[in-house]
Amino acid sequence: MSTIMDGLSLGAIYALIALGYTMVYGIAKMLNFAHGDIIMVGAYAILTSLQLTGNPYLAVVVSIVVCTASGVIIERLAYKPLRGASPLAVLITAIGVSFFLQAVAQLIYGSKSQSISLPDFGKVAIGDVKINVSTILTLVIGGVIMTALTLFVKKTRTGRAMQAVSEDKGAALLMGVNVNRIIMVTFAIGSMLAAFASLFYLMQIPSITPTLGSMPGIKAFTAAVIGGIGSIPGAMLGGVLLGLIEKICLSIPKIAPYTTSIEFSLLIVILLVKPIGLLGKKIREKV
Amino acid sequence: MSRYIANVKKQFKFKHITTWLLVAIALVILIILSNAGALDRSTTGLLSKIAYSIILATSLNLVVGFLGELSLGHAGFACLGAYIGTFAASYLRESIDSKLVVIILAMLIGGLVAAVFGLIIGLPALRLKGDYLAIVTLAFGEIVRNIFKNLPMFGGAMGYASKTYNQKELFIIAFVAVIIVLILMQNLIRSKHGRAITAIRDNEIAARAMGINVTFYKLFVFVIAAFFAGIAGVLYGHFTTPILYTKFDYNFSIEILVMVVLGGMGSINGSIISATLITIINFELQAKLSGDLAAVRTLVYAIILILIVVFNNAPALKPIKERFSLNHLKAKRNAKKAAVIHDDAAEWNRIETKVKMDTVLTPDLPHNEAVTPDKPDKPAKEDKENG
Amino acid sequence: MKKTAAKILSVMLVLTLVAACFTACGGKTTNDPSPNGDTDKGTIFIGGTGPLTGDASSYGISVKNGAELAVKEINEAGGLNGITFTFDMKDDKATAEDASTGYNALMDAGMQISIGSVTSGSCAAFGDLAASDNLFFITPSASAANVIEKGSNAFRVCFGDPDQGVLAAQELTKNYKNIGCIYDTSDPYSSGIYDAFKAEMDKLGASFILQSFDAENKKDFSTQAEALKGCDVVFTPFYYTEAGLVAKALVAKGSSAVVYGCDGLDGIADQIEGVDVKVMYITPFDANSTKENVSKFVASYKETYGVVPDQFAADGYDAIYAIFEAMKAANIDDADIDCDALCDAVVKAITDPSFKLEGVTGTMTWDASGACTKIPQIVELGQ
Repeated sequence: MSTIMDGLSLGAIYALIALGYTMVYGIAKMLNFAHGDIIMVGAYAILTSLQLTGNPYLAVVVSIVVCTASGVIIERLAYKPLRGASPLAVLITAIGVSFFLQAVAQLIYGSKSQSISLPDFGKVAIGDVKINVSTILTLVIGGVIMTALTLFVKKTRTGRAMQAVSEDKGAALLMGVNVNRIIMVTFAIGSMLAAFASLFYLMQIPSITPTLGSMPGIKAFTAAVIGGIGSIPGAMLGGVLLGLIEKICLSIPKIAPYTTSIEFSLLIVILLVKPIGLLGKKIREKV
Repeated sequence: MSRYIANVKKQFKFKHITTWLLVAIALVILIILSNAGALDRSTTGLLSKIAYSIILATSLNLVVGFLGELSLGHAGFACLGAYIGTFAASYLRESIDSKLVVIILAMLIGGLVAAVFGLIIGLPALRLKGDYLAIVTLAFGEIVRNIFKNLPMFGGAMGYASKTYNQKELFIIAFVAVIIVLILMQNLIRSKHGRAITAIRDNEIAARAMGINVTFYKLFVFVIAAFFAGIAGVLYGHFTTPILYTKFDYNFSIEILVMVVLGGMGSINGSIISATLITIINFELQAKLSGDLAAVRTLVYAIILILIVVFNNAPALKPIKERFSLNHLKAKRNAKKAAVIHDDAAEWNRIETKVKMDTVLTPDLPHNEAVTPDKPDKPAKEDKENG
Repeated sequence: MKKTAAKILSVMLVLTLVAACFTACGGKTTNDPSPNGDTDKGTIFIGGTGPLTGDASSYGISVKNGAELAVKEINEAGGLNGITFTFDMKDDKATAEDASTGYNALMDAGMQISIGSVTSGSCAAFGDLAASDNLFFITPSASAANVIEKGSNAFRVCFGDPDQGVLAAQELTKNYKNIGCIYDTSDPYSSGIYDAFKAEMDKLGASFILQSFDAENKKDFSTQAEALKGCDVVFTPFYYTEAGLVAKALVAKGSSAVVYGCDGLDGIADQIEGVDVKVMYITPFDANSTKENVSKFVASYKETYGVVPDQFAADGYDAIYAIFEAMKAANIDDADIDCDALCDAVVKAITDPSFKLEGVTGTMTWDASGACTKIPQIVELGQ
């Protein structure tokens, strides 16, 4: 039972990161490999502002602003010139950005892991299992963000423009949609989600290193693909599923060393059985 | 038989062998230098590294550049080759005296085992495309190294304590391997099989309609690429000890991919040059930047990577790039008055749409891919190769 | 058109290959003498490799700082009979491959004696090459058993992994009842200690709860903490970053277990600030020690680098002094001595029963196996 709760809280973090991946992939049709490193940027932003002001709430605001700004700047400088180029070129640029962010973080903060203490929300007891409030908060906020995102994409003008861009860039352009602006907004939202992810990540794992984002980034990306990349509920499902599986595997000493293998094998199996992921949109095969 | 030889003679063109011939000449020069004592240890070590990097880059180019499928798990094949090949070598050494024979057999064994796994990972490639295949290959690479980490017979986390080969001799063996790989690969590419592979890349459906066995060729490319990567892995295993699973993470796969992309997808020569250059740059930066400056290396590397890829691929920069390209300069020299083609990104037929001329005529719904529509006087190119 | 392109490419290829060997040949001239102009007896070049970038870089940087401090002190005090020392550390990113590259570069630059590599995996590769050249090296912190097994030229400053595992098993079974253990399956240091720990526990007939993690899952320890929360003591044979997280995870699960680790835990104090947990670890170095040489080292390290030295810095510092003292004992007065001759002389001096080094990590002696004998201290933190 406790393992399941741990899995849920880890899964909630994966889900939040996966949401960012899925947003960007769904609309800009590119794998933003640097998404994990934006989380790292957010974590350092929280750390620095906490050290300077001591106010955790201000730190969260600063982190959201920094993440959103860096997401937009990266999009403008590195990805926008490549619009229309081959997906592989964009992917490699994203990898370059990821290396870049890690190197800059190491030059500024050093490679030593820095510890941080965020306010503890305490625990609640359900039956005889104690649950961290932050776990519940992560799940609830994850759910809220997911619903809000779905509503945003479905109901608002910008959201519908996003759908249009995702469907057909050319047609959207002809219909008067500012494609560049929409993609920028997508990146801004994705990076804002990364700021939330870094906050919840730090609540559970209070240690910051320049490479903090890479492994959760890959795991979350796996989660996004399992859930069906481009699908918002799919990212939530994939994230929670992956978190649960990881924790269940780790709780059994005999198979714990093989956890990574099991997670990735699961990905391969799911993709082979259902190549679009669990909740992915059906793409018709060309005949 | 004589007709066959005559046929070969007729078809023989010097330019077909320039690549490996030049590598061979370079090798001869290096051997002479080495015997004259003009090569120091760093250089001989570097040469072995260059050799296995070239094999890795060219073999990945087969998958990415020629077959057109993105693979992020190439390090996994090298990992298999390194562990299995050197493991086999340690047993072979007991019964065979000649070190050379042992390493050759080890390369074959390592390559074959990697090829078997290439077949296994090639199977999903039949069902998946693009980013999905990329993530599956990435997952494969991580699984392979995770499993080797947990096998006590390969030393577990301590790494497998392989026996290294004398570095002064290893680079010669490695470059001979490079030459053999290049000959095999270039003959493959120029054969009808090579044309079938590039046909699949350009248009899978058209290729299928032409009667090309797509299933066979896709698996074939994965197996061949894995075989070569396995050989590179065995060379790596004889270059350094212990073999640590941490080396073969996805960063390594990406490093190989970067070599392929910077050299130009679908260009063997390009892969050779970029593999050589990147290995040298990495090496030079490591040897020169020590201490705190070492963190700058990653930074410089990342910036160069972004700038080169953006410059090579950005649609907006295309006119500038073309103006300064070699072909353009050559055209300027040869033709007195070359026609200037204006490249207008906003021209009506450049706007991306998914309505394809040929799909309009089929009863099927349009596909989710953005393509440039056909224009009567100018056949459209679907896949742009970028270098 | 294509032909020309191919030709140009080919010419470039040959040029790069040939250029490669010449640029690398050029590396030979980089062995500049130290800035100290007052020497007339030349310099001895001490080399080493360590992770200066990547996840493990804090260890490499600490060793480098400690070693540089020692070299500075020695040179300021007049060096060895007028011979001064230069020190250079190449980045190996804690990989075996880059350690051999670094080794080759250092040899080309004229390395005569070495402090090996910082991490065990790299040092195995370094030692493999050093054994064939008979280069003396004394690693500050590579503790795996196989590091010093390759040849008679290999020595170390820190404790060996097996020694620590055995010692921990004895201490824990003596003092505690419910013992838990968590280790990193992907790390040579951690697995090495664990293997010895398990063997000793089996020998003592004691049982313990076992948990593990690996490099891909080394941030979130809630599951492992759940399984270990009933223990009186949890043995954590890995580095302080993860140990700090394990300690926090245990506290979060309401456990009052003592966290008991090895020398890698040095530096954990900042990680567990404000956390209600008792941490004990075996270490040769305590920055708060009142010993005169230790406080002097801590003060000058703090002055130079602005931080309190950790155990890696102390090991690096002692490694340089071990080389210096052994060379002094061997009466080396020729700065141009080659590594082979220097190695034989230094090995003879350092394994001499009368040789003893009063370092900041304790009083050390060495035997022919290369292992260091010194008395471990157990540091207690918190609660």
